[in-house]
Amino acid sequence: MRRRLATGAAVLALGAIVIASGRGLQAIPRNDVLGKQLLYLPTPEILKLASLGNQGLMADLLYIWSIQYYSQFSLDEKFLYLENVFDLVTDLDPHYFDAYRIGALIMSVQRSGDPAQHKAAVARLYDKGLANMPDSWELAEVAAWDAHLVLNDQELALRWMRMASERPGAPPEVKRVYGRWRDNIHGWTIEDSIAYWEEVVAEAERKPDINLATSHLYDSYVTLHRRRLDPLLGAIRQRTGRCPGSWQEVVDRGLLPEAPLDYLGNPYTIDPATCTLVAHKRIRWD
Amino acid sequence: MAEIALGIDDLHKSFDPGLFERRIDVLRGLSLEVRRGETFGFLGPNGAGKTTTIKAITGLIRPDRGRISVCGLAHDRLEAREKIGFMAEQPYVYNHLTGREFLEFHAELLALPRAEVAGRVAEVLDLVSMTGPADRAMRTFSKGMLQRLSLAQALLGRPELLILDEPMSGLDPIGRRDVRDLILAEKERGTTVFFSSHIIPDVETICDRVAIVVGGQVRAVGEVRELVAQEADAYEVSFVCGEGVTLTTPLLASHRGSDAWWARVAGEHRDALIRELAAAGARLVALSPVRSTLEEFVLRHYEGGGR
Amino acid sequence: MRAVVAIARNTFREALRDRVLYLFLGFALVLLASSKLFGLLTVGDEGKVIKDFGLAGIQLATMLIAVMMSVLLISREVDSRTVYNILAKPVRRWQFLIGKYLGLLATVAANLALMTLVLLVVTAVYLRELDAGLLFAAAMTLLEMALLTAFATLFAVLTRPMLGSVFTLAVFVIGHVSEDIWLLTRHVHGGLVRPLVAAVYAVLPNLERFNFKTEVVHDLGISSGQVALTVIYGLAYTALVLVLACARFRSKDLV
Repeated sequence: MRRRLATGAAVLALGAIVIASGRGLQAIPRNDVLGKQLLYLPTPEILKLASLGNQGLMADLLYIWSIQYYSQFSLDEKFLYLENVFDLVTDLDPHYFDAYRIGALIMSVQRSGDPAQHKAAVARLYDKGLANMPDSWELAEVAAWDAHLVLNDQELALRWMRMASERPGAPPEVKRVYGRWRDNIHGWTIEDSIAYWEEVVAEAERKPDINLATSHLYDSYVTLHRRRLDPLLGAIRQRTGRCPGSWQEVVDRGLLPEAPLDYLGNPYTIDPATCTLVAHKRIRWD
Repeated sequence: MAEIALGIDDLHKSFDPGLFERRIDVLRGLSLEVRRGETFGFLGPNGAGKTTTIKAITGLIRPDRGRISVCGLAHDRLEAREKIGFMAEQPYVYNHLTGREFLEFHAELLALPRAEVAGRVAEVLDLVSMTGPADRAMRTFSKGMLQRLSLAQALLGRPELLILDEPMSGLDPIGRRDVRDLILAEKERGTTVFFSSHIIPDVETICDRVAIVVGGQVRAVGEVRELVAQEADAYEVSFVCGEGVTLTTPLLASHRGSDAWWARVAGEHRDALIRELAAAGARLVALSPVRSTLEEFVLRHYEGGGR
Repeated sequence: MRAVVAIARNTFREALRDRVLYLFLGFALVLLASSKLFGLLTVGDEGKVIKDFGLAGIQLATMLIAVMMSVLLISREVDSRTVYNILAKPVRRWQFLIGKYLGLLATVAANLALMTLVLLVVTAVYLRELDAGLLFAAAMTLLEMALLTAFATLFAVLTRPMLGSVFTLAVFVIGHVSEDIWLLTRHVHGGLVRPLVAAVYAVLPNLERFNFKTEVVHDLGISSGQVALTVIYGLAYTALVLVLACARFRSKDLV
């Protein structure tokens, strides 16, 4: 009986020490400002060897990890070694569509650093994907729209949309878009984009296609609203010396009939630092 | 039908234990013959080569030199193995099977006609008194039960030659009695039985002939009573004599005690020894005939040349 | 043939009645079913992650089952003495070994089939699709395991159980990395590294040849010629290893 009590007490005491020390370790902030975790990522050859024939899974795990890792940062913080990580993922699995798409997306939306370098990195990643997946018109089309809407590089957009239109299985709409862009190379307006994407959303049947098209339509509306509303905010700041705290303030000044909503009916906010419109896109991808 | 159920001629076998170790010669020209229908005991101390011989007969090891025949066939032919029923020293069985499944498996290996398998298995289970627990898992069996089942699989194919390696090993007296009775029953059926054992009284009871193996060679072979009788016509003599006395009469054995000599002399030389002792002035202390048992006979051979 | 079938059936039965197998299988099935959790963590195509995870899990679990069960079902029997009762009967040594091999292979195949079924159910429930490519990938994994099991059988007659399992694992690892290492060393000149790597690559099987997971997951085309050659390669190599095992076992003294 005494021995059992002693054993039980020892187990409880040791368990308490384990839990307490674990909590203490948890509380110590993990400082990875310099992205040290990323510095020690192995080369693709080593990872491929270590995967023992499961390089697709290795790519998945690295991709999922990178999503979790980069979601810690805000857009203004430096996304270290971003291109390296997605290069690694796509070296392991050259057919990984999402890695090209999401990698390019993350690279294109970050605001810190040199935009020209980001654009070049996005182009490199997409070009790599397009070389590895020569039959994927989908990747070329997605790349073209990113170039058009996010990177604002119409020449690049046209190049990729042409690629999409020439690839096997490309639907007629892609060829139509390429044709219109080719004809209106500098005349493609945001209204044209909105009209196009509304058509695609209406015609799309599969959920992923609807979501993708809705995302582009949303971005197009945001661009349109920014073009109209950012100058208004800038004018208010200039006149009053400060940026409005909310859109209701702008309405109260009589400058807008009502607070603007995004395409999905959610309210915009205002970034006080840059005094520009901020959109909060929430699209369920499942 | 061959008269010799098992013939072994000049069998040699050595083993290589490994690097930097000397080769071990286990069998050094072992030869013997077992006649059809007899029960043959194979005796020897540990390391004498009994199990090695049995493994060579059953094809588990390859002899370096020599010939083995089973019922007139070369032992390495499949037809020869059809005539053998073998029971290993330890009951090596499959714990995941029931007793019945174990025997049915061995019946398949013997290629018994499918229609006969169930019947023969039941028959053999009854022979070894294992019908009751036959459908229990073998992992629940006692040593004695496993031994009986091991014997059952040896009997399954109605062998002409039954080879048993230490069949009574590890059994209690009841178990030993049961195995002994089974062997005698097979003997009644005319099966040739060749078995090794350390339990000499059992060998004495069951066997027609025995061979004593020491150091990989047969040191003695023959009927039990003949072997024992070899030394029956002998006398033990105790005497006292002075230093420097040399006896010319041939002696079977001799040694000097604290104050007297002891010698063993064949019956034919008894009188000559007594006359020589008298002539040398020795004093005869005792003279008695020798009563030898198989055990004593065997032990003398073990001590003489065993490991 | 009857002896081969009897031994195979007994070996399979032994595996089914061994609790260790169920521990492994249960773990593998839970892992497979939880592949959906990994799918939830990704952004984009969940199906790719589920399939990658599922196929990798099947390969790894089947390999571990093959290695572990080969120790229990073959090495242990050759090393212990249950083989005495069998080989003293009119059973040729190659019949015993092939029977053990087939029993082990049946065990591996049964486990593989069950795991593949679970993966198909998972993809049917969460992705609303039945991908026949998964069956093809599983079949190629079975071919790979048939070859690996042959090596396990060879090592069972060459050495002790623990060493045999280590060697079998080594064949699996080397089989998957040898080609890459050989390619990596192609710029290394002089010394023994390149010839050594080349020798290992030449002698040991290239198990990557059975790896069609990328093609299946990404729905890429696979030429029937390549499949035919892969099957021939796998079967021929397996037969070769088994012949070597039988040849060695034939002359082995069972002390």
